[in-house]
Amino acid sequence: MKHLIPEFERLKTRLPPNHDATLLVPCLRRIQEDRGFIDGSDIDGLVEYLGIPRIQIEEVLSFYGMLRRKPIGRWHLQVCRNVSCSMRGAERLIDQLIDKLGVQPGQTTPDGRFTLSTVECLGSCGTAPVVMVNEAYHENLSAADLDALLERLD
Amino acid sequence: MTGRKVLMDFEVTPTSHSLDDYRARGGYEALEKALRTMKPREVTQEIVDSGLQGRGGAAFPAGRKWQGIDPDDGQPHYLIANADEGEPGTFKDRWVLEYSPHTLLESMLLSCYALGVRHCFVYIRGEYDVPWRRLDAAVEEAYAAGYFGENILGSDFSCDLFVFRGAGAYVCGEASSLLGSIEGTRAFPRNRPPRMTVRGLYQAPTVVNNVETLATIAWIVRNGAKAFREVGTEKSPGTRLISISGHIARPGVYEVELGYSWARFLHEDCGGVLDGRPLKAVIPGGISSQVLTGKDAKVLTAGEVEGLTLDHEKLRSAGSSLGSGGMIVIAEGTCMVRLLQIMLRFYHHESCGQCTPCREGTGWMHRIVDRIVAGDGRPEDLERLNYIAGFNDGTTICGLGDAAGYAATAMLANFRDEFEYFIEHKRSKFAGNLE
Amino acid sequence: MTAIFINGQPVETGEHTTVLQAALANGFYIPHFCWHPALSIVGNCRVCVVEQEGRGVGIACNMPISDGMRVLTDSEPVRAQRKAMLQFILLNHPVDCGICDKAGECALQDYHYEYNGEPAISGDPKLHSTKFFPLSERIVLDNERCILCSRCVRFTREISKSNVLGLEQRGDNMLVRPAEGRTLDDDPYSDNVVDICPVGALLSRSFLYQSRVWYLEPTPSVCPGCARGCTVQLWHRKAEWRLQGLDERHNTRIHRVTPLENPRVNGPWICNKGRDLPTLLDRPRAEQALLKGAPVTAVEAIEAARALLDQAGKRVALVSSWGSNEELRAFRNSLGGYFSCFVKPDHLPGEGEVVEDDLLIRADKNPNTRAGQDLFGTAAAEIPEDTDLVLVWGEGVDFGTLPRGVRILFLGSWLLPENGHADVFIPISIQTERRGHYTNCEGVVSAFEPCQPRRDGVIDAETLFPLLSAPGGSASGGGAA
Repeated sequence: MKHLIPEFERLKTRLPPNHDATLLVPCLRRIQEDRGFIDGSDIDGLVEYLGIPRIQIEEVLSFYGMLRRKPIGRWHLQVCRNVSCSMRGAERLIDQLIDKLGVQPGQTTPDGRFTLSTVECLGSCGTAPVVMVNEAYHENLSAADLDALLERLD
Repeated sequence: MTGRKVLMDFEVTPTSHSLDDYRARGGYEALEKALRTMKPREVTQEIVDSGLQGRGGAAFPAGRKWQGIDPDDGQPHYLIANADEGEPGTFKDRWVLEYSPHTLLESMLLSCYALGVRHCFVYIRGEYDVPWRRLDAAVEEAYAAGYFGENILGSDFSCDLFVFRGAGAYVCGEASSLLGSIEGTRAFPRNRPPRMTVRGLYQAPTVVNNVETLATIAWIVRNGAKAFREVGTEKSPGTRLISISGHIARPGVYEVELGYSWARFLHEDCGGVLDGRPLKAVIPGGISSQVLTGKDAKVLTAGEVEGLTLDHEKLRSAGSSLGSGGMIVIAEGTCMVRLLQIMLRFYHHESCGQCTPCREGTGWMHRIVDRIVAGDGRPEDLERLNYIAGFNDGTTICGLGDAAGYAATAMLANFRDEFEYFIEHKRSKFAGNLE
Repeated sequence: MTAIFINGQPVETGEHTTVLQAALANGFYIPHFCWHPALSIVGNCRVCVVEQEGRGVGIACNMPISDGMRVLTDSEPVRAQRKAMLQFILLNHPVDCGICDKAGECALQDYHYEYNGEPAISGDPKLHSTKFFPLSERIVLDNERCILCSRCVRFTREISKSNVLGLEQRGDNMLVRPAEGRTLDDDPYSDNVVDICPVGALLSRSFLYQSRVWYLEPTPSVCPGCARGCTVQLWHRKAEWRLQGLDERHNTRIHRVTPLENPRVNGPWICNKGRDLPTLLDRPRAEQALLKGAPVTAVEAIEAARALLDQAGKRVALVSSWGSNEELRAFRNSLGGYFSCFVKPDHLPGEGEVVEDDLLIRADKNPNTRAGQDLFGTAAAEIPEDTDLVLVWGEGVDFGTLPRGVRILFLGSWLLPENGHADVFIPISIQTERRGHYTNCEGVVSAFEPCQPRRDGVIDAETLFPLLSAPGGSASGGGAA
């Protein structure tokens, strides 16, 4: 993660001084964006860069749903299954994906293309159902829309 | 349509969120006015006089919260805009970030001026991408125009803003958990005392306000507390952004003047229940009714909704709350047992695990309802659910425990027959239907 | 000074700031798991609830004291909530009492009987988790028993500062875990977490399955591991529970060592070296007096020693820093006049041992250097080449460094090769066989009591010294102190 340090240093200009631990979550997010996941060496690097105990980083990493320690498929299909989305067809979308991709939520297709996850409310209830693909929201999805979406993702 | 407007008082276009468009409609004039003609305490007084209530869920008077900070005590102070918006059914802060980010930024600058804050934060949930990009772009525009940084508009007031992106934890919408997140530790909510205005971020006095609450500040300073009080009701001045979803013909974010007729809002402005189906129930203010601070989120039946107006007092006296403004409409034919299953699954997944009743209780309730849905329910399960819910009420460090409890007790109180049916017949009265 | 009312009784709260502190200090017991006087307040177990009249039920550990407040520790709502909290804690807790070392000193057991006493109301199967997670060579963690009070985590963050332990994941998946690649072996104070764990989740591997705690009793003692002189409890089998027909050592050996809370010295903690005292004190003992390796009776040895004293012109004594205050004074009174006396370190820091830190551990690995130096000065030992007699009291002297041909009178407790090289060797007792006092590096005097029987052939140094200088031995000659 050392090549990202200049970026991290620039973040400090808008932060009050002497609270380096505040950069932990932003650093983890950026490292994951860069590498696809957070590696043990990244944690070692952050221990040195931020001057905080390793255990603190591990606790924070295991606390948040969006941070991961292992790589996943190229396209992360995250389907919301909370109240409003379920009321507008999310469960059928999940079934459609399980059927089409041949994997269960939490798994990755053998070709490494798709990882399927079910997630909690994404704040898209008015445009339900929604599938978040990597960082983009795909809202108001019908079954046909979902098929078309999968086609577009190589 | 739904009354007078405070936040949605402009036409949304492809550029209406930009700095130029915002300035064209009077943006940053309130900031100029405050920096040139008002003292910080005068700004706070304006907010106190306006009667503005928090719009994150608790409806706590914003001015009173602000008065917990002494701007002249020589300590660092912090202001955090809570844009974690994780309450299921709620997506109205997203509207502010996407379509009116400068309203939030100007309001935050006014608030920092009032509270003696040098460094402020927007804590935005990690999943929001487009809202974050809009916000980030607006922040850069504001910095470039000199609205952030040193000596703003030639005054002694300096202020920096940091946009902090979350990483996927509903509990971080709870104000004290949010502090732990920013401090780089496990985001456990904290016991009070001490209040956050005494010891908050980095152990310094801190104010955490919801995005919508803050975004209203600019209007109040520009037009005055008196003008704000002329909108809405006496006890609930102003407007609320309502995010409406579920079985409704026209879901979305609406700005509603407080005191507006609920029935009219549902059946006219939002197009009525989807496909003209009869209304079964409404979850009025997010499935917890407020982001983790424990007011009743009772599900109201159709009969209770008609005749009510949308304001904080009316809903409270009906045993519920406007909460986060996340309204979920439920039509006849929906299985309330399955709905409760989804809600409990959510709380179980999101419980931080710190305190005994919520950590064990959310799992326990979830497993009981899972069992009922699987056809393996027992008669004593319903009393068990009430027992667990009852001992999550007021016993936990934060409101997540209470909220999980209220979800269960409200569903059981209003739809007990469905649960009894499920247990007796080992299947749903409505074939498990949610749509 | 604030006055509050607990169960109707007025209580002066003094320096206490929370209701829990004030209540406990004044004899009102409020059950609690996560609160500990030496650790930060987390308020997560939710068991220490009390009712504040007019304001409802809340946790006492974080409840600020306000003048005139009225608190009830056992009202109906308090009882109801306590019972419920215990039900929640017990929801997934395995009923391992029959095989759990903590039974008999377990807060959860005690509170269950006192405040709940009802079977689990849940009809669902318990969740399972890791049963035997090796946190280190010394400590094992049972995650099923763990109630996630976080005392152990806070200990490693706030007291020992080893930062080994943390809480991973969320909700009821949360687990106490060490940082990757680390164990509690990194922490020289690790075993304190076994004491402070309120249940049987953290257990000492050396004590595992050794004995039920109600067969044991503690005797107060002082750790001789360094000059800090932490007060400890040495646990051994109760006399009325003597095992018949098995090796007698089961009845005399020290099964475990725990801190004896001491606000002036070590607070509630000791380091791991103190825990390992049984190993230190269980080394093979010298029980036979010797003259140049030949076994003799104690009387013969004492006679020979007196003769050595008489005959010697220049005499040097290397005084044990493990001698008790009483023994040191007896040495000074009986023999101090006949010797140039130097206090020596019996033990030096061992390979890999922590030398000194900011918490308890001191570089001087001997318990009574201070009292010895108060009596005999701080000079390092000087043994001129023409010394006739060296009296070596205690370990730590390499006889090879003594002048050639010098006579050696050796008083020691342990079976060592040196015993046979001394002109006269007399076996003496160790601290667990007698009472006495040590003075620590800061001058605090602490007492130890006997908990092991005297062995045949072994004499107390305090008794021996006057015998060595009794009339019949000449008081003339040089080398006086």
